[in-house]
Amino acid sequence: MATVEIDEVTKVYPNGVEAVQGLTLQVRDGELMVLVGPSGCGKTTVLRMVAGLEEISSGEVLIGGRVVNDVSPKARDIAMVFQNYALYPHMTVAANIGFGLKLRNLPKSEVEAKVLAAARMLGLSQWLDRKPGQLSGGQRQRVAMGRAIVREPKVFLMDEPLSNLDAKLRVQMRAEVSHIQRRLGVTTLYVTHDQTEAMTMGDRVAVLLEGVLQQCAPPQLLYDRPDNVFVAAFIGSPAMNMYEGLMDPDGTSVSLGSQRLQISDDVFHARPALAMYRGKKVVVGIRPEHISAAVSSDGPVLQGDVELVEALGSELLVHFSLDAALAHVPGAAVNGQTEQPAADDVDATTSGWSVARVDASTKIRVHERATFALRPSLQHFFDADTGAAIWDGPP
Amino acid sequence: MGDGTMTPGSSGLAAVSPAGSAIRRQARRRPTLARRIRRDPGAIGMFLALLVISIVMLYPFAFMIINSLRTESQYLNGSGFSTSSWGALFSSLPVGAELLNSTLICAGAIAIILIGSSAAGFAFAKLRYRRQNVVFLGIIGSMMIPVQSIIIPEYVNLANAGLVNNYLSPILVYSALGMPFATFLMTVFFRGLPDELIEAALCDGMGYFGVFWRVAVRMAGPALATVTVLQFIQIWDDLLVALLLLQEPANRTITVGLGVLSSGRAVSIPALMAGSLISAIPAIIVYLFFQRYLVSGLTMGVSR
Repeated sequence: MATVEIDEVTKVYPNGVEAVQGLTLQVRDGELMVLVGPSGCGKTTVLRMVAGLEEISSGEVLIGGRVVNDVSPKARDIAMVFQNYALYPHMTVAANIGFGLKLRNLPKSEVEAKVLAAARMLGLSQWLDRKPGQLSGGQRQRVAMGRAIVREPKVFLMDEPLSNLDAKLRVQMRAEVSHIQRRLGVTTLYVTHDQTEAMTMGDRVAVLLEGVLQQCAPPQLLYDRPDNVFVAAFIGSPAMNMYEGLMDPDGTSVSLGSQRLQISDDVFHARPALAMYRGKKVVVGIRPEHISAAVSSDGPVLQGDVELVEALGSELLVHFSLDAALAHVPGAAVNGQTEQPAADDVDATTSGWSVARVDASTKIRVHERATFALRPSLQHFFDADTGAAIWDGPP
Repeated sequence: MGDGTMTPGSSGLAAVSPAGSAIRRQARRRPTLARRIRRDPGAIGMFLALLVISIVMLYPFAFMIINSLRTESQYLNGSGFSTSSWGALFSSLPVGAELLNSTLICAGAIAIILIGSSAAGFAFAKLRYRRQNVVFLGIIGSMMIPVQSIIIPEYVNLANAGLVNNYLSPILVYSALGMPFATFLMTVFFRGLPDELIEAALCDGMGYFGVFWRVAVRMAGPALATVTVLQFIQIWDDLLVALLLLQEPANRTITVGLGVLSSGRAVSIPALMAGSLISAIPAIIVYLFFQRYLVSGLTMGVSR
């Protein structure tokens, strides 16, 4: 096992595009680090630079403390799982899994034993004589995993390995990949555009946008304390509702269009820097799951016109409109929300509607004006100019 | 919903009843010509066109086979059959030796073309280097140079190298002539291979030569078969290069032998037809052997 250190790494393509800008990241020994971000954010480029498949323009990549910038992929002791699996179509499953070992001139008996062990672990024992073309997507994905596992490398690199699977299989394989990684304890760098995958699998998650690291933290911390509007909007499904607001001079409330949202003392305790924004513009973020149908007028509330109600069985997604201006969120239109297709179709940030995730038993009708209660201490505040979260000090 | 309620015995399995499978069998059966024409009257024009093309294509074969089984007088009369022309052919031409010469030259040239074009195609498709496109365009452009315009300088070069009347000379010339198209074909094929496959092999522990030899070439069956068939037909049928470079009777190819046979003062058409038939058989065998790869090889790059 080994650590992976990415130190001030930049990648500039010959056409001048700066895909990665001064990225610094450390993946601890045995950790599963997820790189997440919208398409084109540079996450795959980072992975390929670690693998040695892409030249590094500046900075250093270290694997196990050794600088590997000029080391060929085969000498880095890494194993990579690709989005399209990249199985050798002319070889059987067993040959695919054992190919890396064969190239290392291991005795045939040892190769066979390791292939069998990996196949048993992945439930592939009965398919060993088949060719990849005769397997389902899930089975091919397992073969790709087997090919990586069997070599016992220092580092696993996984490039969206589940994105070609259907939704149900993806959820199943997500758990399997996590389980195998934890069982083997191999340092893993995992790339995905799916924030749900990132949240459920990663020990830590690094969020990238346009080649720049936005935040790297454990999943819950990303959700609870996003560093900026992009992370806040990207993590969570449906995406966080973002409004342009104006703090009242006395700091007890914030104006969202014609409505006033009370700010509780808890919010000020958690965000002392908010006091400096009295009378200034801020961006207010409210997660859909922190909005419910109001049963009393205590606490902060918002009133909106219900535009659409989507029943998901266990809950309702209520799309409603306010007269407050929605804040611009960079990369919001490509937010990777995959588990909630309904929410994808009508994204609050792109439709101009807000979204509330309420209990399925809530009586709510389209075209009615409804009152929504907000969890008092769970509003997020961001600097209107920089988009940085307002927490302890000046952003 | 009430409409969707299933009663016992009325499950979806009912679709697998004997009547159902009979319907499916009928649907699977290829429609007859009459049914196709009834369904699409315009198809009759297509069938007629294909029929005419088939006759045009097959007529020379029929002519060759029929007339190879006639004597000179039977050929002139247009009736009767005899195998004497085959005896005349074998007595006037060293057919076996010429077939062997043709085979050796074809095999040598095709081996060089396959090795060179697959390596070049892989490099053009999967490696990146400066002026790559210019070099590729140069090679593709050389396909447009007619062999007649360079054959004399080539002859002079080979004569200076002392290679005239040596099998190596036509092998080298055919390789040079066939290489550009073969390289183009192999490049198109290798461009269709996913880059991830190459990268997976690099991560697995191979160098670029290993990736080429152990992964790319193993998957290039259709492309290699296509190159083999097309080059075989071209080289086997060629007269000019072999006629010029192999002047000793012992070195002649079958095509040159037939050329000599047809240039005599008294030409025996039945013997010539018998020789042509023998000459055509290897090409037909090669085509049939690689047929299943040929279509996929020829349509490479059409879709990915």
